[in-house]
Amino acid sequence: MAEFIQILISGLSAGSIYALAAVGFTLLWQASQTINFAQGEFVMLPAFFVLALTVKLGLPLPLAIILAIFLSVLLLGAVFKKLVVEPMIQHGTLPLVIATIALGLLLKEGVKEFYSPLGQPFPSLFPQDVLSVFGAAVSIPDIANFVIAMGTIIGLQLFLARTRTGRCMQATAQNPDVAQILGVDIKKMVLYTFLINGALAAIASVLITPIYLAKFSNGEVLGLVAFIAAIVGGFNQIRGALVGGLLIGVIDNLSAGYVSAEYRQAVPMLLLIFVILVRPQGLLGTSEGRAV
Amino acid sequence: MTDTVLSIRNISKSFGGIHAVRDVSFDVQKGEVLGLIGPNGSGKSTLFNCVLGQLKPDTGEVRVNDQTVAGMRAAALNKLGVGRTFQQLSVFPQMSVLENIILAGQEHQGTMATRLFGPSDAGLTAEADQMIKFFRLEHLRDEMAGSLSYGQQKLVDAAMAFMAGPSLVLLDEPAGGVNLTMLANLKDRLRAYNREHGTTFVVIEHNMEFVMSLCTRIIVLAEGAIIAEGTPDEIRSNQQVIDAYLGG
Repeated sequence: MAEFIQILISGLSAGSIYALAAVGFTLLWQASQTINFAQGEFVMLPAFFVLALTVKLGLPLPLAIILAIFLSVLLLGAVFKKLVVEPMIQHGTLPLVIATIALGLLLKEGVKEFYSPLGQPFPSLFPQDVLSVFGAAVSIPDIANFVIAMGTIIGLQLFLARTRTGRCMQATAQNPDVAQILGVDIKKMVLYTFLINGALAAIASVLITPIYLAKFSNGEVLGLVAFIAAIVGGFNQIRGALVGGLLIGVIDNLSAGYVSAEYRQAVPMLLLIFVILVRPQGLLGTSEGRAV
Repeated sequence: MTDTVLSIRNISKSFGGIHAVRDVSFDVQKGEVLGLIGPNGSGKSTLFNCVLGQLKPDTGEVRVNDQTVAGMRAAALNKLGVGRTFQQLSVFPQMSVLENIILAGQEHQGTMATRLFGPSDAGLTAEADQMIKFFRLEHLRDEMAGSLSYGQQKLVDAAMAFMAGPSLVLLDEPAGGVNLTMLANLKDRLRAYNREHGTTFVVIEHNMEFVMSLCTRIIVLAEGAIIAEGTPDEIRSNQQVIDAYLGG
């Protein structure tokens, strides 16, 4: 039982971080029909901003994290939208998908070439102590990661549901033509979505990198897991992406603990195939018709 | 100050060699309910889109409340007092009926910060509730708009069009696909709103019974030009109109 609780909490912790990246996926899809296959690299890169600012420039860690989030919002949000999404989306969804795959490769190879091909130690944000929960040893970083990631997602959900800006962002995602006629500045709302995705990726990055080391290839797995989480939960629902992320995190950890560590990555894929066959719109998603 | 809410002067619009609208002129007075009818391809939708600024006419001018609407964006037109309903459904499906109606009534300008710290309902809940009551949608107030029937969504669409307090509302096929009970309710509510607020309506509609019983004046278009104008009774008995509809 103690082992199960330990694995469960560890899975929820990892899953909540996957959910951050998955929520970003769904936000970009809803607001601008952008499927960002560079999302994994978006989560990989901010950790290197932090490392560059602390190791190369000698800035203290908290300041480096704040600056890294700001840089991510600027580069992975505003610049990404301006230089990649806006020129490509005019040609359709598929060219944009290919462009984001290329961007992911560029970011990955860029970090490998200009920073390091080797995994870099990343400072832990929290004490490495262990707490006892119902007899199970639970690490403080696991609890802290879960609290921060969930707090971020709940805060985002409240922002979207309870503020006028959030409502206008939802209106833009659900029916942009009518939103524009009602006077909503839809271009600004889409931009906000990209900025939020940049911030979500940066938060996910500083939370998950202490677990895996900072490595140029981190985005490969993260991007795939976030994509699967978004599809399993429902691509057009934030709460779907949240549930998908948590589910993948827990199943991944349980299968590593009780089935086979070697096949742990296969289990989310099996879940993906099952959900696509049984409920293609995702566990909490709604089916939508769209001309492509 | 005149009582003319909408003035259309010598509007023409062609697409390649096809003359969709030919030198059309008419005025709509405050409180009027004008029906714009005609067979398919007669130019109704093109004319509607010229009024809404979605198409630029080749010649002529459209004025709303004494202001030209040439080059005006949809949001600016909305601010000028022009509301509209849509032929296709236009609700926000994953928001409640109340949220949809509030969204249609609120001022969307300003910075992110000012709109973040203002009340999330823009202080419009009471007004939106009145509109919901007027359109007899109380039982659906907190339902997601996307889960409503087609006819119910049409009523929400109409309520949204009236939230900004427009002086002119353009109704694009409001009866299309709506069942008879819902249609009677919609007609009753539109009439009541017109009577109580003096709002001017221009209606495009194929459902002749709906148009004839709702409108005070009807303009008939055929091949882009006005072929008849008058009260519903005059239009019913107009031989040119009968020929146009029967292809004579």
